[in-house]
Amino acid sequence: MKWRSHPGAGSLPGLLFLGCVGLICASSCRPATPAPDDELVARGRDLFFDEAFDGNGRTCGSCHPASNNFTIDPAFAVTLPAGDPLFAAEFDAGLGQNFENPTLMREVGLILENQDGFGDLENDFNMRGVPHTLGLGLSIDSRDGPRSGWSGDGAPGDGSLRSFATGAVIQHFPRTLGRVPGEDFRLPTDEELDALEAFQLSLGRQEELTLPLPLKGRVASRGQEIFNDATLGKCSACHFNAGANGDPGVFGAGAGNLNFNTGVEDLPDQPADLTGEPVPPDDGLGTPGDGTFNTPSLVEAADTGPFFHNNSVETIEGAVVFYNGDAFNNSPAGQLLAGATGGGINLDATQVVEVAAFLRVINTLENIRQSIGFLISFAERRFAGNEEFDQLLARALDETDDGIGVLVAGGLHPVAVAHLREARRLTTEAMESWFSGERLAREAAREQELARDELVGL
Amino acid sequence: MLKYGTAIGVAFALLAGPSFAFAQKTTERFIPIGQSPGLSGDYTNIGSIEAVSVQERTVTMSDASGSYSVGIADDTHIWLDKSKIGSTNAVGTVSDLQAGRRIEVKYRDNDPQAAAEWIKVEILE
Repeated sequence: MKWRSHPGAGSLPGLLFLGCVGLICASSCRPATPAPDDELVARGRDLFFDEAFDGNGRTCGSCHPASNNFTIDPAFAVTLPAGDPLFAAEFDAGLGQNFENPTLMREVGLILENQDGFGDLENDFNMRGVPHTLGLGLSIDSRDGPRSGWSGDGAPGDGSLRSFATGAVIQHFPRTLGRVPGEDFRLPTDEELDALEAFQLSLGRQEELTLPLPLKGRVASRGQEIFNDATLGKCSACHFNAGANGDPGVFGAGAGNLNFNTGVEDLPDQPADLTGEPVPPDDGLGTPGDGTFNTPSLVEAADTGPFFHNNSVETIEGAVVFYNGDAFNNSPAGQLLAGATGGGINLDATQVVEVAAFLRVINTLENIRQSIGFLISFAERRFAGNEEFDQLLARALDETDDGIGVLVAGGLHPVAVAHLREARRLTTEAMESWFSGERLAREAAREQELARDELVGL
Repeated sequence: MLKYGTAIGVAFALLAGPSFAFAQKTTERFIPIGQSPGLSGDYTNIGSIEAVSVQERTVTMSDASGSYSVGIADDTHIWLDKSKIGSTNAVGTVSDLQAGRRIEVKYRDNDPQAAAEWIKVEILE
Protein backbone atom coordinates (compact mmCIF):
# COMPACT_ATOMS: atom_id res chain seq x y z
CA MET A 1 0.00 0.00 0.00
CA LYS A 2 1.49 3.30 -1.03
CA TRP A 3 0.41 6.80 -0.22
CA ARG A 4 -0.68 9.34 -2.69
CA SER A 5 2.20 11.53 -3.83
CA HIS A 6 1.74 15.28 -3.97
CA PRO A 7 3.75 17.62 -6.18
CA GLY A 8 6.59 19.21 -4.26
CA ALA A 9 6.59 16.52 -1.62
CA GLY A 10 10.35 16.19 -1.89
CA SER A 11 11.09 19.85 -1.09
CA LEU A 12 11.64 21.18 2.45
CA PRO A 13 8.49 23.33 2.48
CA GLY A 14 6.66 20.44 1.00
CA LEU A 15 7.90 18.07 3.71
CA LEU A 16 7.03 20.55 6.47
CA PHE A 17 3.63 21.03 4.98
CA LEU A 18 3.07 17.33 4.64
CA GLY A 19 4.11 16.90 8.26
CA CYS A 20 1.45 19.34 9.41
CA VAL A 21 -1.17 17.82 7.21
CA GLY A 22 -0.11 14.42 8.48
CA LEU A 23 -0.73 15.50 12.07
CA ILE A 24 -4.12 16.89 11.22
CA CYS A 25 -5.45 14.02 9.18
CA ALA A 26 -3.34 11.07 10.13
CA SER A 27 -6.39 8.87 10.38
CA SER A 28 -8.91 10.51 8.09
CA CYS A 29 -6.60 10.41 5.04
CA ARG A 30 -5.91 6.72 5.27
CA PRO A 31 -7.74 4.23 3.14
CA ALA A 32 -9.91 1.88 5.15
CA THR A 33 -8.29 -1.23 6.53
CA PRO A 34 -8.40 -3.87 3.84
CA ALA A 35 -10.45 -7.01 4.18
CA PRO A 36 -8.48 -10.28 4.01
CA ASP A 37 -9.46 -10.95 0.41
CA ASP A 38 -8.38 -7.46 -0.55
CA GLU A 39 -5.03 -8.15 1.04
CA LEU A 40 -4.62 -11.25 -1.12
CA VAL A 41 -5.54 -9.23 -4.19
CA ALA A 42 -3.10 -6.50 -3.18
CA ARG A 43 -0.37 -9.08 -2.67
CA GLY A 44 -1.16 -10.42 -6.11
CA ARG A 45 -0.98 -6.95 -7.54
CA ASP A 46 2.49 -6.41 -6.08
CA LEU A 47 3.63 -9.72 -7.53
CA PHE A 48 2.02 -9.04 -10.90
CA PHE A 49 3.80 -5.74 -11.40
CA ASP A 50 6.98 -6.05 -9.34
CA GLU A 51 8.05 -9.67 -9.11
CA ALA A 52 10.50 -10.87 -11.77
CA PHE A 53 10.90 -14.36 -10.29
CA ASP A 54 14.70 -14.12 -10.56
CA GLY A 55 14.40 -14.10 -14.32
CA ASN A 56 15.23 -11.65 -17.09
CA GLY A 57 13.56 -8.70 -15.41
CA ARG A 58 10.14 -9.07 -16.90
CA THR A 59 7.09 -9.10 -14.68
CA CYS A 60 3.54 -10.06 -15.57
CA GLY A 61 2.95 -6.34 -15.99
CA SER A 62 5.58 -6.11 -18.71
CA CYS A 63 3.11 -7.56 -21.18
CA HIS A 64 -0.03 -6.72 -19.19
CA PRO A 65 0.41 -3.07 -18.13
CA ALA A 66 -2.50 -1.57 -16.22
CA SER A 67 -2.16 1.73 -18.04
CA ASN A 68 -2.77 0.04 -21.40
CA ASN A 69 -5.69 -2.19 -20.49
CA PHE A 70 -3.38 -5.02 -19.48
CA THR A 71 -2.20 -5.62 -23.02
CA ILE A 72 0.44 -4.25 -25.36
CA ASP A 73 0.31 -2.83 -28.85
CA PRO A 74 2.83 -1.00 -31.05
CA ALA A 75 1.64 2.43 -29.88
CA PHE A 76 2.28 1.45 -26.28
CA ALA A 77 5.56 -0.30 -26.99
CA VAL A 78 7.01 2.84 -28.54
CA THR A 79 6.51 4.71 -25.26
CA LEU A 80 8.77 2.31 -23.35
CA PRO A 81 12.49 2.89 -22.82
CA ALA A 82 14.87 0.78 -24.86
CA GLY A 83 15.97 -1.04 -21.73
CA ASP A 84 12.50 -2.16 -20.73
CA PRO A 85 12.56 -5.89 -19.98
CA LEU A 86 9.83 -6.37 -22.57
CA PHE A 87 12.60 -5.92 -25.11
CA ALA A 88 14.98 -8.34 -23.40
CA ALA A 89 15.68 -10.08 -26.68
CA GLU A 90 17.22 -6.87 -28.00
CA PHE A 91 19.89 -6.49 -25.32
CA ASP A 92 20.17 -9.71 -23.33
CA ALA A 93 22.84 -11.94 -24.82
CA GLY A 94 21.20 -15.07 -23.50
CA LEU A 95 17.96 -14.26 -25.23
CA GLY A 96 19.10 -12.94 -28.58
CA GLN A 97 17.91 -15.88 -30.62
CA ASN A 98 14.55 -17.67 -30.65
CA PHE A 99 13.15 -15.89 -27.60
CA GLU A 100 11.26 -13.06 -29.27
CA ASN A 101 11.13 -11.40 -32.67
CA PRO A 102 11.84 -7.71 -31.94
CA THR A 103 10.48 -6.56 -35.29
CA LEU A 104 7.17 -8.29 -34.79
CA MET A 105 7.00 -7.14 -31.18
CA ARG A 106 7.56 -3.50 -32.02
CA GLU A 107 5.64 -3.31 -35.29
CA VAL A 108 2.72 -5.66 -34.65
CA GLY A 109 2.71 -6.16 -30.88
CA LEU A 110 3.33 -9.91 -31.14
CA ILE A 111 5.14 -12.10 -28.64
CA LEU A 112 6.66 -15.51 -29.23
CA GLU A 113 5.07 -18.64 -27.78
CA ASN A 114 6.31 -22.22 -28.01
CA GLN A 115 2.84 -23.66 -27.93
CA ASP A 116 3.84 -26.97 -29.43
CA GLY A 117 7.01 -27.56 -27.47
CA PHE A 118 10.60 -26.48 -27.14
CA GLY A 119 12.24 -29.10 -29.35
CA ASP A 120 12.84 -26.89 -32.39
CA LEU A 121 13.11 -23.30 -31.25
CA GLU A 122 14.23 -22.10 -34.66
CA ASN A 123 11.13 -23.22 -36.50
CA ASP A 124 8.45 -24.32 -34.08
CA PHE A 125 6.85 -21.26 -32.51
CA ASN A 126 3.80 -19.03 -32.78
CA MET A 127 3.55 -15.26 -32.81
CA ARG A 128 0.58 -14.08 -30.79
CA GLY A 129 -0.93 -10.90 -29.45
CA VAL A 130 -1.25 -10.32 -25.73
CA PRO A 131 -4.76 -10.95 -24.43
CA HIS A 132 -5.90 -8.45 -21.82
CA THR A 133 -6.66 -9.80 -18.36
CA LEU A 134 -9.95 -7.99 -17.78
CA GLY A 135 -13.10 -9.88 -16.82
CA LEU A 136 -11.27 -13.21 -16.64
CA GLY A 137 -13.80 -14.55 -14.16
CA LEU A 138 -16.37 -14.31 -16.94
CA SER A 139 -14.36 -15.58 -19.85
CA ILE A 140 -12.25 -18.65 -19.15
CA ASP A 141 -14.59 -21.29 -17.79
CA SER A 142 -15.77 -24.00 -20.13
CA ARG A 143 -17.26 -27.46 -19.90
CA ASP A 144 -13.80 -28.83 -20.57
CA GLY A 145 -12.11 -26.81 -17.89
CA PRO A 146 -10.54 -23.38 -17.89
CA ARG A 147 -9.39 -21.97 -21.21
CA SER A 148 -6.47 -19.63 -20.78
CA GLY A 149 -4.40 -18.00 -23.48
CA TRP A 150 -5.46 -17.57 -27.09
CA SER A 151 -5.98 -21.24 -27.81
CA GLY A 152 -7.32 -22.06 -24.36
CA ASP A 153 -4.39 -24.28 -23.45
CA GLY A 154 -1.84 -21.87 -22.12
CA ALA A 155 -1.41 -23.23 -18.61
CA PRO A 156 0.63 -26.18 -17.39
CA GLY A 157 -0.30 -28.14 -14.26
CA ASP A 158 -4.05 -28.35 -13.91
CA GLY A 159 -4.60 -25.88 -16.74
CA SER A 160 -6.15 -23.27 -14.45
CA LEU A 161 -5.66 -19.53 -14.38
CA ARG A 162 -3.79 -20.11 -11.12
CA SER A 163 -1.30 -22.36 -12.92
CA PHE A 164 -0.99 -20.02 -15.88
CA ALA A 165 1.57 -17.88 -14.06
CA THR A 166 3.92 -20.85 -13.76
CA GLY A 167 3.86 -21.42 -17.50
CA ALA A 168 4.26 -17.71 -18.18
CA VAL A 169 7.37 -17.53 -16.03
CA ILE A 170 8.90 -20.48 -17.87
CA GLN A 171 7.98 -19.13 -21.31
CA HIS A 172 8.60 -15.41 -20.89
CA PHE A 173 10.81 -14.79 -17.87
CA PRO A 174 13.96 -16.95 -18.31
CA ARG A 175 17.48 -15.59 -18.27
CA THR A 176 18.50 -18.16 -20.88
CA LEU A 177 16.66 -20.58 -23.09
CA GLY A 178 17.98 -23.43 -20.98
CA ARG A 179 15.04 -22.63 -18.73
CA VAL A 180 16.56 -24.28 -15.68
CA PRO A 181 14.44 -23.66 -12.57
CA GLY A 182 16.51 -22.10 -9.83
CA GLU A 183 19.01 -20.72 -12.33
CA ASP A 184 17.08 -19.07 -15.13
CA PHE A 185 14.05 -18.23 -12.98
CA ARG A 186 12.31 -19.40 -9.89
CA LEU A 187 8.85 -20.89 -9.99
CA PRO A 188 6.03 -19.09 -8.18
CA THR A 189 5.13 -20.57 -4.82
CA ASP A 190 1.63 -21.80 -4.03
CA GLU A 191 0.98 -18.67 -2.01
CA GLU A 192 2.11 -16.51 -4.90
CA LEU A 193 -0.06 -18.40 -7.35
CA ASP A 194 -3.07 -17.88 -5.07
CA ALA A 195 -2.39 -14.16 -4.89
CA LEU A 196 -1.77 -13.76 -8.61
CA GLU A 197 -4.98 -15.55 -9.40
CA ALA A 198 -6.96 -13.42 -6.94
CA PHE A 199 -5.54 -10.24 -8.45
CA GLN A 200 -6.30 -11.26 -12.00
CA LEU A 201 -9.84 -12.29 -11.15
CA SER A 202 -10.42 -8.90 -9.53
CA LEU A 203 -9.73 -7.00 -12.73
CA GLY A 204 -12.48 -5.53 -14.86
CA ARG A 205 -16.04 -6.71 -15.03
CA GLN A 206 -17.40 -9.05 -12.44
CA GLU A 207 -20.82 -9.37 -14.10
CA GLU A 208 -22.08 -10.04 -17.60
CA LEU A 209 -24.12 -7.45 -19.42
CA THR A 210 -27.75 -8.32 -20.04
CA LEU A 211 -28.63 -7.49 -23.61
CA PRO A 212 -30.44 -5.70 -25.07
CA LEU A 213 -29.37 -2.51 -23.35
CA PRO A 214 -31.61 0.57 -23.65
CA LEU A 215 -29.10 2.39 -25.80
CA LYS A 216 -29.89 5.98 -26.76
CA GLY A 217 -27.84 6.27 -29.92
CA ARG A 218 -29.68 5.16 -33.04
CA VAL A 219 -26.61 3.79 -34.77
CA ALA A 220 -25.39 1.76 -31.80
CA SER A 221 -28.93 0.66 -31.07
CA ARG A 222 -29.32 -0.72 -34.58
CA GLY A 223 -25.91 -2.32 -34.20
CA GLN A 224 -27.11 -4.10 -31.09
CA GLU A 225 -30.15 -5.43 -33.01
CA ILE A 226 -27.93 -6.73 -35.79
CA PHE A 227 -25.53 -8.22 -33.26
CA ASN A 228 -28.32 -10.20 -31.62
CA ASP A 229 -30.17 -11.07 -34.83
CA ALA A 230 -29.82 -14.81 -35.48
CA THR A 231 -30.40 -14.27 -39.19
CA LEU A 232 -28.25 -11.20 -39.76
CA GLY A 233 -25.25 -10.52 -37.55
CA LYS A 234 -25.39 -13.91 -35.83
CA CYS A 235 -22.84 -12.60 -33.34
CA SER A 236 -24.53 -13.47 -30.08
CA ALA A 237 -24.41 -17.23 -30.63
CA CYS A 238 -20.75 -17.22 -29.68
CA HIS A 239 -20.63 -13.86 -27.89
CA PHE A 240 -23.68 -14.13 -25.65
CA ASN A 241 -24.36 -10.76 -24.06
CA ALA A 242 -21.30 -9.55 -25.96
CA GLY A 243 -19.11 -11.63 -23.69
CA ALA A 244 -16.81 -14.58 -24.26
CA ASN A 245 -19.31 -17.39 -23.75
CA GLY A 246 -21.63 -19.37 -25.98
CA ASP A 247 -25.36 -18.67 -25.97
CA PRO A 248 -26.96 -21.20 -23.59
CA GLY A 249 -29.96 -21.29 -25.93
CA VAL A 250 -27.68 -22.57 -28.66
CA PHE A 251 -24.98 -24.52 -26.88
CA GLY A 252 -26.82 -25.51 -23.72
CA ALA A 253 -26.59 -24.25 -20.19
CA GLY A 254 -23.08 -23.74 -18.90
CA ALA A 255 -21.46 -23.89 -22.31
CA GLY A 256 -19.04 -21.24 -21.19
CA ASN A 257 -16.09 -20.36 -23.33
CA LEU A 258 -15.73 -22.19 -26.65
CA ASN A 259 -13.01 -22.73 -29.21
CA PHE A 260 -13.59 -22.30 -32.95
CA ASN A 261 -11.62 -22.35 -36.15
CA THR A 262 -12.84 -19.13 -37.72
CA GLY A 263 -10.19 -18.95 -40.41
CA VAL A 264 -8.22 -16.01 -39.03
CA GLU A 265 -5.04 -17.82 -40.03
CA ASP A 266 -6.23 -17.71 -43.64
CA LEU A 267 -6.57 -13.94 -43.82
CA PRO A 268 -4.49 -12.54 -46.69
CA ASP A 269 -1.89 -9.82 -46.31
CA GLN A 270 -1.60 -10.01 -42.56
CA PRO A 271 0.52 -7.25 -41.00
CA ALA A 272 2.94 -9.77 -39.52
CA ASP A 273 3.46 -11.41 -42.90
CA LEU A 274 4.02 -8.04 -44.55
CA THR A 275 7.11 -7.53 -42.39
CA GLY A 276 8.84 -10.42 -44.13
CA GLU A 277 9.69 -11.95 -40.77
CA PRO A 278 9.15 -15.70 -40.28
CA VAL A 279 5.64 -16.35 -39.00
CA PRO A 280 4.83 -20.07 -38.91
CA PRO A 281 1.17 -21.07 -39.14
CA ASP A 282 -0.49 -21.17 -35.73
CA ASP A 283 -2.40 -24.41 -35.28
CA GLY A 284 -4.26 -23.37 -32.14
CA LEU A 285 -5.40 -25.75 -29.44
CA GLY A 286 -3.41 -28.89 -28.80
CA THR A 287 -0.24 -30.49 -30.08
CA PRO A 288 -0.57 -30.88 -32.98
CA GLY A 289 -3.23 -28.22 -32.97
CA ASP A 290 -6.77 -28.50 -34.21
CA GLY A 291 -6.86 -24.98 -35.63
CA THR A 292 -9.21 -23.60 -33.00
CA PHE A 293 -8.88 -20.53 -30.80
CA ASN A 294 -11.03 -19.44 -27.96
CA THR A 295 -13.64 -16.72 -28.00
CA PRO A 296 -12.67 -13.36 -26.48
CA SER A 297 -15.09 -11.05 -24.74
CA LEU A 298 -16.33 -8.15 -26.85
CA VAL A 299 -17.23 -5.74 -24.06
CA GLU A 300 -13.56 -4.86 -23.63
CA ALA A 301 -12.70 -5.17 -27.31
CA ALA A 302 -12.82 -1.66 -28.74
CA ASP A 303 -9.93 -0.33 -26.67
CA THR A 304 -7.81 -3.48 -26.60
CA GLY A 305 -6.96 -3.99 -30.26
CA PRO A 306 -5.34 -5.09 -32.48
CA PHE A 307 -7.69 -8.02 -32.87
CA PHE A 308 -7.59 -11.79 -33.10
CA HIS A 309 -4.81 -14.06 -31.86
CA ASN A 310 -2.27 -12.70 -34.30
CA ASN A 311 -3.13 -8.99 -34.18
CA SER A 312 -4.15 -9.26 -37.81
CA VAL A 313 -6.79 -6.51 -37.74
CA GLU A 314 -6.25 -3.06 -36.27
CA THR A 315 -9.75 -1.61 -35.95
CA ILE A 316 -12.98 -2.80 -34.42
CA GLU A 317 -14.73 -2.12 -37.74
CA GLY A 318 -12.19 -4.36 -39.44
CA ALA A 319 -12.82 -7.06 -36.87
CA VAL A 320 -16.55 -6.98 -37.69
CA VAL A 321 -15.85 -6.99 -41.42
CA PHE A 322 -13.77 -10.12 -40.96
CA TYR A 323 -16.97 -12.13 -40.59
CA ASN A 324 -18.11 -10.93 -44.03
CA GLY A 325 -15.03 -12.19 -45.77
CA ASP A 326 -13.87 -15.38 -47.40
CA ALA A 327 -11.51 -16.31 -44.58
CA PHE A 328 -14.40 -16.68 -42.15
CA ASN A 329 -17.14 -17.85 -44.49
CA ASN A 330 -14.91 -20.59 -45.90
CA SER A 331 -13.64 -21.64 -42.49
CA PRO A 332 -14.98 -24.65 -40.57
CA ALA A 333 -16.90 -22.30 -38.29
CA GLY A 334 -18.21 -20.22 -41.18
CA GLN A 335 -19.27 -23.26 -43.18
CA LEU A 336 -21.17 -24.79 -40.31
CA LEU A 337 -22.78 -21.48 -39.47
CA ALA A 338 -23.90 -21.18 -43.07
CA GLY A 339 -25.25 -24.71 -43.03
CA ALA A 340 -27.15 -24.15 -39.83
CA THR A 341 -28.61 -20.78 -40.71
CA GLY A 342 -28.97 -20.94 -44.47
CA GLY A 343 -26.11 -18.64 -45.30
CA GLY A 344 -22.97 -16.92 -44.22
CA ILE A 345 -22.65 -13.49 -42.68
CA ASN A 346 -23.06 -10.69 -45.18
CA LEU A 347 -23.39 -7.25 -43.66
CA ASP A 348 -23.29 -4.05 -45.68
CA ALA A 349 -20.99 -1.20 -44.76
CA THR A 350 -23.64 0.66 -42.79
CA GLN A 351 -24.41 -2.47 -40.79
CA VAL A 352 -20.74 -3.17 -40.11
CA VAL A 353 -20.33 0.33 -38.74
CA GLU A 354 -23.49 -0.07 -36.68
CA VAL A 355 -22.28 -3.27 -35.03
CA ALA A 356 -18.93 -1.61 -34.39
CA ALA A 357 -20.72 1.41 -32.93
CA PHE A 358 -22.53 -0.91 -30.54
CA LEU A 359 -19.21 -2.43 -29.50
CA ARG A 360 -17.71 1.01 -29.07
CA VAL A 361 -20.57 2.12 -26.85
CA ILE A 362 -20.51 -0.92 -24.56
CA ASN A 363 -16.74 -0.55 -24.28
CA THR A 364 -17.18 3.07 -23.27
CA LEU A 365 -19.83 2.10 -20.72
CA GLU A 366 -17.25 -0.23 -19.18
CA ASN A 367 -14.66 2.58 -19.24
CA ILE A 368 -17.13 4.78 -17.40
CA ARG A 369 -17.98 2.07 -14.88
CA GLN A 370 -14.34 1.55 -14.09
CA SER A 371 -13.60 5.28 -13.95
CA ILE A 372 -16.40 5.88 -11.48
CA GLY A 373 -15.12 3.00 -9.38
CA PHE A 374 -11.63 4.45 -9.23
CA LEU A 375 -12.88 7.98 -8.54
CA ILE A 376 -15.25 6.95 -5.77
CA SER A 377 -12.63 4.68 -4.21
CA PHE A 378 -10.36 7.70 -4.10
CA ALA A 379 -13.01 10.06 -2.76
CA GLU A 380 -14.10 7.65 -0.07
CA ARG A 381 -10.54 6.59 0.79
CA ARG A 382 -11.59 3.07 0.17
CA PHE A 383 -8.98 0.37 -0.08
CA ALA A 384 -8.93 -1.02 -3.58
CA GLY A 385 -6.79 -4.11 -3.48
CA ASN A 386 -6.24 -4.32 -7.20
CA GLU A 387 -4.95 -0.78 -7.52
CA GLU A 388 -2.52 1.23 -5.46
CA PHE A 389 -4.25 4.11 -3.77
CA ASP A 390 -1.99 6.72 -5.29
CA GLN A 391 -2.75 5.37 -8.75
CA LEU A 392 -6.54 5.50 -8.55
CA LEU A 393 -6.89 8.88 -10.24
CA ALA A 394 -4.35 7.98 -12.91
CA ARG A 395 -6.29 4.82 -13.66
CA ALA A 396 -9.52 6.81 -13.83
CA LEU A 397 -7.77 9.07 -16.30
CA ASP A 398 -6.65 6.10 -18.41
CA GLU A 399 -10.18 4.77 -18.59
CA THR A 400 -11.57 8.20 -19.39
CA ASP A 401 -9.09 8.64 -22.20
CA ASP A 402 -10.02 5.24 -23.55
CA GLY A 403 -13.71 6.11 -23.49
CA ILE A 404 -13.11 9.40 -25.26
CA GLY A 405 -10.90 7.75 -27.86
CA VAL A 406 -13.31 4.92 -28.53
CA LEU A 407 -16.27 7.25 -29.08
CA VAL A 408 -14.40 9.88 -31.08
CA ALA A 409 -12.90 7.29 -33.43
CA GLY A 410 -16.42 6.10 -34.21
CA GLY A 411 -17.89 9.59 -34.53
CA LEU A 412 -20.28 8.76 -31.71
CA HIS A 413 -22.03 10.67 -28.94
CA PRO A 414 -20.33 14.11 -28.98
CA VAL A 415 -22.22 15.24 -25.88
CA ALA A 416 -21.00 12.22 -23.92
CA VAL A 417 -17.49 12.97 -25.14
CA ALA A 418 -17.83 16.52 -23.81
CA HIS A 419 -18.82 15.17 -20.40
CA LEU A 420 -15.90 12.75 -20.43
CA ARG A 421 -13.55 15.57 -21.33
CA GLU A 422 -14.87 17.55 -18.39
CA ALA A 423 -14.42 14.48 -16.19
CA ARG A 424 -10.88 14.28 -17.46
CA ARG A 425 -10.23 17.94 -16.58
CA LEU A 426 -11.65 17.46 -13.09
CA THR A 427 -9.66 14.28 -12.53
CA THR A 428 -6.46 15.99 -13.59
CA GLU A 429 -7.25 18.88 -11.26
CA ALA A 430 -7.91 16.41 -8.45
CA MET A 431 -4.49 14.90 -9.02
CA GLU A 432 -2.88 18.29 -8.60
CA SER A 433 -4.97 19.58 -5.72
CA TRP A 434 -3.84 19.64 -2.10
CA PHE A 435 -7.21 20.15 -0.50
CA SER A 436 -9.97 19.53 -3.03
CA GLY A 437 -9.07 16.15 -4.43
CA GLU A 438 -12.01 14.32 -2.96
CA ARG A 439 -14.55 16.92 -4.07
CA LEU A 440 -13.08 17.08 -7.55
CA ALA A 441 -13.06 13.29 -7.81
CA ARG A 442 -16.75 13.22 -6.94
CA GLU A 443 -17.45 15.93 -9.51
CA ALA A 444 -15.52 13.94 -12.08
CA ALA A 445 -17.58 10.88 -11.22
CA ARG A 446 -20.71 12.95 -11.72
CA GLU A 447 -19.54 13.95 -15.18
CA GLN A 448 -18.92 10.28 -15.92
CA GLU A 449 -22.51 9.57 -14.92
CA LEU A 450 -23.77 12.32 -17.22
CA ALA A 451 -21.74 10.79 -20.04
CA ARG A 452 -23.25 7.41 -19.27
CA ASP A 453 -26.72 8.93 -19.32
CA GLU A 454 -26.05 10.05 -22.87
CA LEU A 455 -25.30 6.49 -23.92
CA VAL A 456 -27.84 4.41 -22.10
CA GLY A 457 -31.00 4.92 -20.10
CA LEU A 458 -34.62 4.08 -19.74
CA MET B 1 -35.39 -19.59 -32.99
CA LEU B 2 -35.37 -22.97 -31.33
CA LYS B 3 -34.77 -24.65 -34.66
CA TYR B 4 -31.95 -22.24 -35.38
CA GLY B 5 -30.55 -22.79 -31.96
CA THR B 6 -30.67 -26.56 -32.21
CA ALA B 7 -29.18 -26.60 -35.67
CA ILE B 8 -26.38 -24.26 -34.89
CA GLY B 9 -25.78 -25.96 -31.59
CA VAL B 10 -25.29 -29.33 -33.21
CA ALA B 11 -23.13 -27.80 -35.85
CA PHE B 12 -20.90 -25.94 -33.50
CA ALA B 13 -20.64 -28.85 -31.13
CA LEU B 14 -18.78 -30.55 -33.94
CA LEU B 15 -16.20 -27.87 -34.28
CA ALA B 16 -15.92 -26.50 -30.81
CA GLY B 17 -12.81 -27.50 -28.96
CA PRO B 18 -12.41 -31.17 -28.16
CA SER B 19 -13.65 -32.36 -24.80
CA PHE B 20 -10.42 -33.78 -23.53
CA ALA B 21 -8.05 -32.32 -21.07
CA PHE B 22 -6.11 -29.68 -22.89
CA ALA B 23 -3.11 -31.15 -24.55
CA GLN B 24 -0.78 -28.19 -24.77
CA LYS B 25 1.25 -28.10 -21.58
CA THR B 26 4.60 -27.60 -23.12
CA THR B 27 6.04 -25.65 -20.23
CA GLU B 28 5.20 -28.63 -17.98
CA ARG B 29 8.47 -30.19 -19.07
CA PHE B 30 10.44 -27.55 -17.20
CA ILE B 31 8.61 -27.93 -13.90
CA PRO B 32 10.55 -30.13 -11.47
CA ILE B 33 9.03 -33.22 -9.93
CA GLY B 34 6.50 -32.37 -7.26
CA GLN B 35 5.98 -28.77 -8.26
CA SER B 36 3.31 -28.91 -10.95
CA PRO B 37 0.66 -26.42 -9.85
CA GLY B 38 -2.70 -27.93 -9.05
CA LEU B 39 -1.49 -31.41 -9.92
CA SER B 40 1.44 -32.49 -7.78
CA GLY B 41 0.26 -34.07 -4.60
CA ASP B 42 -3.36 -34.13 -5.74
CA TYR B 43 -3.48 -35.76 -9.15
CA THR B 44 -0.04 -37.25 -9.59
CA ASN B 45 1.90 -40.05 -7.98
CA ILE B 46 5.50 -39.66 -6.97
CA GLY B 47 7.61 -42.70 -6.26
CA SER B 48 10.46 -44.87 -7.42
CA ILE B 49 10.68 -47.19 -10.38
CA GLU B 50 10.78 -50.88 -9.42
CA ALA B 51 10.65 -52.39 -12.86
CA VAL B 52 9.85 -51.64 -16.47
CA SER B 53 8.21 -53.94 -18.97
CA VAL B 54 8.63 -52.71 -22.50
CA GLN B 55 6.55 -55.59 -23.86
CA GLU B 56 3.63 -54.86 -21.55
CA ARG B 57 4.22 -51.14 -21.80
CA THR B 58 4.15 -50.67 -18.08
CA VAL B 59 6.33 -49.26 -15.40
CA THR B 60 6.01 -50.59 -11.87
CA MET B 61 6.51 -47.91 -9.29
CA SER B 62 6.32 -47.84 -5.54
CA ASP B 63 5.56 -45.20 -3.01
CA ALA B 64 4.33 -45.11 0.57
CA SER B 65 1.03 -46.69 -0.46
CA GLY B 66 2.70 -49.70 -2.03
CA SER B 67 3.60 -50.97 -5.46
CA TYR B 68 1.53 -50.54 -8.60
CA SER B 69 1.69 -50.59 -12.35
CA VAL B 70 1.40 -47.58 -14.66
CA GLY B 71 0.54 -47.90 -18.34
CA ILE B 72 2.66 -46.18 -20.98
CA ALA B 73 0.99 -45.16 -24.23
CA ASP B 74 2.54 -44.11 -27.51
CA ASP B 75 1.81 -40.50 -26.72
CA THR B 76 2.93 -40.55 -23.10
CA HIS B 77 5.41 -37.74 -22.60
CA ILE B 78 8.57 -38.72 -20.80
CA TRP B 79 10.53 -35.78 -19.44
CA LEU B 80 13.89 -35.85 -17.77
CA ASP B 81 13.97 -33.62 -14.71
CA LYS B 82 17.55 -32.42 -14.48
CA SER B 83 16.84 -29.42 -12.31
CA LYS B 84 18.80 -30.80 -9.36
CA ILE B 85 21.96 -30.93 -11.42
CA GLY B 86 21.36 -27.51 -12.95
CA SER B 87 20.68 -28.75 -16.45
CA THR B 88 17.85 -28.17 -18.85
CA ASN B 89 14.99 -30.60 -18.52
CA ALA B 90 14.85 -32.72 -21.63
CA VAL B 91 12.60 -35.03 -23.56
CA GLY B 92 13.26 -38.65 -22.62
CA THR B 93 12.35 -42.10 -23.86
CA VAL B 94 11.23 -45.37 -22.31
CA SER B 95 14.88 -46.28 -21.94
CA ASP B 96 15.20 -43.50 -19.37
CA LEU B 97 12.74 -45.31 -17.11
CA GLN B 98 15.28 -47.17 -15.05
CA ALA B 99 14.80 -49.01 -11.77
CA GLY B 100 15.58 -46.88 -8.76
CA ARG B 101 14.91 -43.56 -10.42
CA ARG B 102 12.40 -41.23 -8.86
CA ILE B 103 9.42 -40.39 -11.04
CA GLU B 104 6.21 -38.39 -11.03
CA VAL B 105 3.25 -39.74 -13.00
CA LYS B 106 0.27 -37.78 -14.27
CA TYR B 107 -2.54 -40.00 -15.55
CA ARG B 108 -4.66 -39.16 -18.55
CA ASP B 109 -7.87 -37.48 -17.42
CA ASN B 110 -6.54 -37.90 -13.88
CA ASP B 111 -7.74 -41.49 -14.00
CA PRO B 112 -5.26 -43.86 -12.28
CA GLN B 113 -6.59 -46.71 -14.43
CA ALA B 114 -5.64 -44.88 -17.59
CA ALA B 115 -2.20 -44.70 -19.15
CA ALA B 116 0.18 -41.99 -18.08
CA GLU B 117 -0.18 -38.63 -19.78
CA TRP B 118 3.33 -37.74 -18.69
CA ILE B 119 6.11 -39.16 -16.59
CA LYS B 120 8.89 -37.03 -15.16
CA VAL B 121 12.09 -38.88 -14.40
CA GLU B 122 14.58 -37.41 -11.96
CA ILE B 123 18.12 -37.41 -13.32
CA LEU B 124 20.84 -36.93 -10.74
CA GLU B 125 23.97 -37.66 -12.70
